[in-house]
Amino acid sequence: MAHRWGMTVDLDRCTGCGACVTACHAENNIAVVGDAQAAKSRAMHWIRVERYWEGDFPDVRLKFRPVMCQQCDAAPCEPVCPTYASHHTEEGLNAQVYNRCIGTRYCANACPYNVRFFDFYNPQWPKPLHLQLNPDVSVREVGVMEKCTFCVQRISAAEIDAKAEKRELKDGEITPACVQSCSAKALVFGDLNDPESEVSRLSRSTRGAKLLEELGTLPKVTYLARQTQV
Amino acid sequence: MKEATAKRIADDLLRPLLNTSWRFFLLVAILGAIVLTGASAWMYQVWNGFGESGKRWPVFWGFYITNFVFWIGISHAGTLISAILRLVNAGWRRPVTRCAEVITAFALMIGAMFPIIHLGRPWLFFWLMPYPNQRRIWPNFRSPLVWDFFAISTYLTGSVLFLVLPMIPDFALVRDKTTGVRRKFYGTLALGWQGTTKQWHRLESAMQIMAIAIIPVAVSVHTIVSFDFSMAPVPGWHSTIFGPYFVAGAIFSGIAALIIAMAGLRKFLHLEDYLHPVHFANLGKLLLMMSLLWTYFVFAERLTTWYGNGTSEMNVFWVTQTGSYSPLYWTMVICNFVIPFPILSLRRTRTVTGCVIASCSVVVGMWLERFLIVVPTLGHKYLPYSWGPYQPSKVEIMIMISTFAAMGLLYTLFAKFVPIISIWELKVGEHPFPIEAAAQVKEHAILRTNP
Amino acid sequence: MDRRDFIRLTAVTGTSVTLASCGNPEHQLIRFVPDDDLVPGVAEFKPSVCPLCRAGCGLSVRVMEADVETVRNGQSGVVKMGVAKKLEGDAKHPISRGGLCPRGQAAIQITYHPDRLTHPMKRTGARGTGEYKEVTWDEAIAELAGQLIALADARDQKSLALLARPRRSRRLELFAEFLARFGAPAPVGFELFAEDVLRRANARSFGHEQLPTFDLARAKYVIAFGADFLGTWNSPVSQNAGYGEMRQGRQVHGGSRAKFVHVEPRMSLTAASADEFVPAKPGTEGVLALGLGHIIIRNKLRSADAAGRAGAAIDGWSAGLADYTPENVEKITGVAALRIERLAHELVEFRPSVAIIGGAPLAHTNGLFNALAVNALNALLGSVGEPGGMFFTPSLQPPASGPGFSAASHPPSQAAPASAGQTQPLVASLQSSKVLLIDDANPVFASPKAWKVREALDRIPFIVSFGSFLDDTSIHADLILPDHSFLETWVDSMPESGALEAVTTVAGPAMKPLHNTRSTPDVVIELAGKLKSPVALPWKSYEEMLKAPATSHPPSQAAPASAGQASHQPPVTSHQYQEPHFDGDAAAFPFHFLPYASQAFLDGSAAHLPWLQEMPDPLTSAMWSSWIEINPRTAERLGLALGDLVDVTSSQGTLRAPIVISPGIAPDVVAMPVGQGHETFTRYASKRGVNPIEILSPLTEAETGALAWAATRVKITRAGDGDGRLIMFAGEMRENPFEGRRQEK
Ligand SMILES: Nc1nc2c(c(=O)[nH]1)N[C@H]1C(S)=C(S)[C@@H](COP(=O)(O)OP(=O)(O)OC[C@H]3O[C@@H](n4cnc5c(=O)[nH]c(N)nc54)[C@H](O)[C@@H]3O)O[C@H]1N2
Ligand code: SF4
Ligand code: SF4
Ligand code: SF4
Ligand code: SF4
Ligand code: SF4
Repeated sequence: MAHRWGMTVDLDRCTGCGACVTACHAENNIAVVGDAQAAKSRAMHWIRVERYWEGDFPDVRLKFRPVMCQQCDAAPCEPVCPTYASHHTEEGLNAQVYNRCIGTRYCANACPYNVRFFDFYNPQWPKPLHLQLNPDVSVREVGVMEKCTFCVQRISAAEIDAKAEKRELKDGEITPACVQSCSAKALVFGDLNDPESEVSRLSRSTRGAKLLEELGTLPKVTYLARQTQV
Repeated sequence: MKEATAKRIADDLLRPLLNTSWRFFLLVAILGAIVLTGASAWMYQVWNGFGESGKRWPVFWGFYITNFVFWIGISHAGTLISAILRLVNAGWRRPVTRCAEVITAFALMIGAMFPIIHLGRPWLFFWLMPYPNQRRIWPNFRSPLVWDFFAISTYLTGSVLFLVLPMIPDFALVRDKTTGVRRKFYGTLALGWQGTTKQWHRLESAMQIMAIAIIPVAVSVHTIVSFDFSMAPVPGWHSTIFGPYFVAGAIFSGIAALIIAMAGLRKFLHLEDYLHPVHFANLGKLLLMMSLLWTYFVFAERLTTWYGNGTSEMNVFWVTQTGSYSPLYWTMVICNFVIPFPILSLRRTRTVTGCVIASCSVVVGMWLERFLIVVPTLGHKYLPYSWGPYQPSKVEIMIMISTFAAMGLLYTLFAKFVPIISIWELKVGEHPFPIEAAAQVKEHAILRTNP
Repeated sequence: MDRRDFIRLTAVTGTSVTLASCGNPEHQLIRFVPDDDLVPGVAEFKPSVCPLCRAGCGLSVRVMEADVETVRNGQSGVVKMGVAKKLEGDAKHPISRGGLCPRGQAAIQITYHPDRLTHPMKRTGARGTGEYKEVTWDEAIAELAGQLIALADARDQKSLALLARPRRSRRLELFAEFLARFGAPAPVGFELFAEDVLRRANARSFGHEQLPTFDLARAKYVIAFGADFLGTWNSPVSQNAGYGEMRQGRQVHGGSRAKFVHVEPRMSLTAASADEFVPAKPGTEGVLALGLGHIIIRNKLRSADAAGRAGAAIDGWSAGLADYTPENVEKITGVAALRIERLAHELVEFRPSVAIIGGAPLAHTNGLFNALAVNALNALLGSVGEPGGMFFTPSLQPPASGPGFSAASHPPSQAAPASAGQTQPLVASLQSSKVLLIDDANPVFASPKAWKVREALDRIPFIVSFGSFLDDTSIHADLILPDHSFLETWVDSMPESGALEAVTTVAGPAMKPLHNTRSTPDVVIELAGKLKSPVALPWKSYEEMLKAPATSHPPSQAAPASAGQASHQPPVTSHQYQEPHFDGDAAAFPFHFLPYASQAFLDGSAAHLPWLQEMPDPLTSAMWSSWIEINPRTAERLGLALGDLVDVTSSQGTLRAPIVISPGIAPDVVAMPVGQGHETFTRYASKRGVNPIEILSPLTEAETGALAWAATRVKITRAGDGDGRLIMFAGEMRENPFEGRRQEK
């Protein structure tokens, strides 16, 4: 049976530490845009830790919410793309084919989660920072859209390994960079088509909900609500 | 008032073609310089990267798409109006049609440039088009941008035909009145027109077919442009009213643009005898109607948003009504309703000047309307953490200014090389038309038909 | 022209065209024969240790083949070699357990930093100008040896000083050994957030001069006093792992979710995860702890005797803390009496419960008291050494007890007299030294202006830096002997906390050095041999030292924690409550100034890493910036909007920074992250933002002499509208901003 990759984000475990943000940069060759461009809101964080304040001092609360591409099953970013650069893969991922993207930025407008980022300039890697680039991930050029891929290179690598060893993929064998770096284990990744996988089990939790579920985008990321102990 | 015979008409209207003053060269030089500056601004953006525009996360569309929608809207001035007037055989249309239709052609060309200017990788713009290729990849026919490509190219083809067909007899006229290079030039354009009955008959039926065909195309074009927005699940965009709302807005701004263009021609080409206050007054009434219609759409749009009270829709609502975009919003309301409504309602102020003032106000207002549809929404989608403002960059402003200059330049050149008022149509019309029309047409509504 | 001529001609033309088009010199580089044996495209994983904080997280380094531009025998060329591609937490490492913090993720950029120092350098311009010339290693080491020989000749060996970051690693042991044998004083440790007050308190309360480890995974109730244990404090990665278990991990396994209460005047990253946020007045955390203790003892929820030694350290403990009635405590701390009663009952009801203190509460003039009070509370709760409580990671025998060591060779983190935060030892040792060696310490940046560290440096005749970067301190060096990066050399770490078992991590190089750098321990060993009367070190290289048999240092087998440290136990003296003192009176300086370790840069030592500069701060979303956090009401009163500039003035000086309005900070407190404001620290951090440490008053903790970095008061004045220097990633800070705005009206 085909895989259907999904993720759960346990908001009760997430401490907002931001390790996932840096890990994603490290894994996916995301360019550092620098202060001047960051000031123009051109920083590219495929995963961001949203924070929302509630109430006022001293009865104040802070919510953290890591948001990455939700890999929607009914992804609004896909039908609008004139070149199929944003399209659905057989495993249900929303793939972004940088080569086909001509930079209309329509997909980013259509994405309700604002998780798509645009390369406003060619990325710079002052030498020898370029040595860190992950050879498994394309470096994007100016004028294309980029976004969280669920670390598709890690998925493919594991699938190829499993195929070569003539075996099934094990649950937990694939960890996207953000999942791997999260020391609080707030992020869990796996196959939603495997009812026994941890991600399936967690997705069925009563604490689970999808972000902006009401839009009908059918995201594959499930948020597990934060709890309060009184 | 001058005696206006067929010859008189021809002389008046051919004068701009045959005599060239230094003012023409000055105007062309100034407009051309502005256009070149805009072109170099675009090259600068392509060379350095799209970051030279003011776009940012999450406002990925800004001035370019605003101008795209605006210019496509302006394009509804001409062909659509002229086709309707042709079909209902409104006699007073005759001096108006060509200068209206040419707005369509040029506004469409300018508008169609913006989606390309706006691409991150404009050198690959042809990937929007279906063409057989090695990659064996067709464009995604589900994407409204691909619909745009078809809609705009169809409309452009149609309206250029619609403009050029009735120019043939006039080209023949110029051919016959000139010598040398001009004669050769216009002779080619005249496509061997001899004015035979058969030719006249064919022209008439072609125009009739074109007029019928072009109306749904025009209506669909702006409906499709509205789909660029309403097909995306974005608060403030995802609205069923957008199709007619955009078409109404387009016709609204189109008429305003037409009035301004006519006033300009009347003044600079001394066509007071042909473009009468009554033409302005009639178009003014049309503008008034569109103003009311537009205001109704805006009201209906806000009312349903407010009544529905969806969280994200209300965020966009407040941002435009009282928030950071409210100065622009209320300027838009003033420009599109508060100013034009009294001017155009009162017969006393529905003069040429009055209509021009109202039209200028509407053009500004409709530009703001396009901006307010694109930008505040994108800056305030669902997750407030990702909200953000937008400011156009110098490059964007430069390119925008240059497109207005381009419109002026194209119009000036057109008026230089083509009789801006259809000579043969005037002649075919009731003969002493330019003189007596005023009296005749005054009391008639636009639906007046000739027996 | 015959055919041959034609070909020759085109060949010439072709060549010249080729040469002309080779503007990029990399096309002309020679390819060297690779000496790594790697399969292209296949990753290998090698162990290492994160160098960025004392937690000592174990790394798994992904190494793959790449083309590296390099210089061999004076010839530049390209070589295929294995290079580090990504740092990941080592899943089997007891501290990192597969995870990393954002700083650890970014540590790889140290190795590949474009502004890394690539070769030894000798100063040519005036000090501080950054003008250096390249020298060879032989020249550089000879130069340094010459300086030391001169000291020895003058029998002035005591004038050699070594300033290092206090870390538990054998690197410091090697330095200490060298210094001791040379006749120089022990290395001086320097770190801003050194936590020595807590070590001292733990020595008093529990006999362990060490930072504690918390068994969060099994705790049912956690009350933290100021400790940013999920962000920057102590061992963040292991604490995050425990926290995750404590929240949901146990529910999965049928246990219950723990409650977490955080006491702090500003909602920090850690406080944001708490179930209950208790903003107590700054410096009164100890009083709150004793108020909780009072109720527990008064209501006989636990016996006061249970606290034992830790209770005895508190004056009035045996009398049931009579002065700490909830009403009194409310007056001092600002926490409601009823709430104190409830919390006290919960602490006992939901055992195992544990109290954590760290950070700002220890950085007041009464820091030691605060720590002792929380220690006593822990003891009263019975959480010391119990599952779900606090532990002391068993450590290997401290280096001091090894054969042939002088007492002076304690790693500075343990050597109280030479410890961080003290004007006396730091500046004194600087003042008395003629040759100063600096290893991974940046006191010019991380000490208050009032300490006049820079001026002290100016008076030192010869300064040597082993650092990989020109920073605020090393720019004053006369000689720079850049170290390998941690990925290019042997590294080791013996973290003092973070795991319940003893941890020693030793790792070999993950990749070959990129530049003409040398491992500092090896340089010291070489230096020792180059002296006129050579100092005999027992190892030929650092690698050999780390691989040395267990006689002096049994690897990874824990000696019983108390064994080596029993001798440190000071006599129990009981401590009376002392009010915190603040610099500046409340009328002139109405705000408490709270500098805090930033999630991205910690104490500023990671500010040069571009990923961390661009990482949005978790609470404010600021990037590439400095900012000052103030309460919305304060902002309103001063007519300030987000990003407006304010002048923050203490008795020591003024800083100008943009404001961030934070609903989580007490109205009488303003907070500022530490980390920006470097004068010199690579292209990414130089002259970016401002450094809050500069304007700290040099007040110290009364007993330990540690810098009381939370004891400064400031005033705030509007300095102007925002000028764009505050860069934010986020748009709004509330989930429904318009509703919020309408409510406020
Ligand atoms: N110096 C030099 N330059 C050349 C050539 C040469 O021989 N030498 N050859 C030329 C020729 S013939 C060609 S065809 C081109 C090839 O040039 P490129 O098209 O750039 O080819 P690659 O570098 O092989 O692969 C590009 C990237 O695709 C990524 N990738 C792999 N699978 C996927 C996937 O499923 N999705 C996505 N999004 N990315 C994936 C890889 O990680 C890699 O980073 O180069 C041309 N340029
Ligand atoms: S790494 Fe984990 S805990 Fe940290 S912010 Fe990301 S999801 Fe939250
Ligand atoms: S989250 Fe956005 S980018 Fe990702 S699949 Fe959904 S719509 Fe597309
Ligand atoms: S920006 Fe690229 S991916 Fe997005 S819609 Fe346009 S072409 Fe498609
Ligand atoms: S799944 Fe991979 S690409 Fe997506 S946010 Fe996580 S690390 Fe980034
Ligand atoms: S806590 Fe972070 S910075 Fe400290 S050692 Fe671990 S990974 Fe490195």
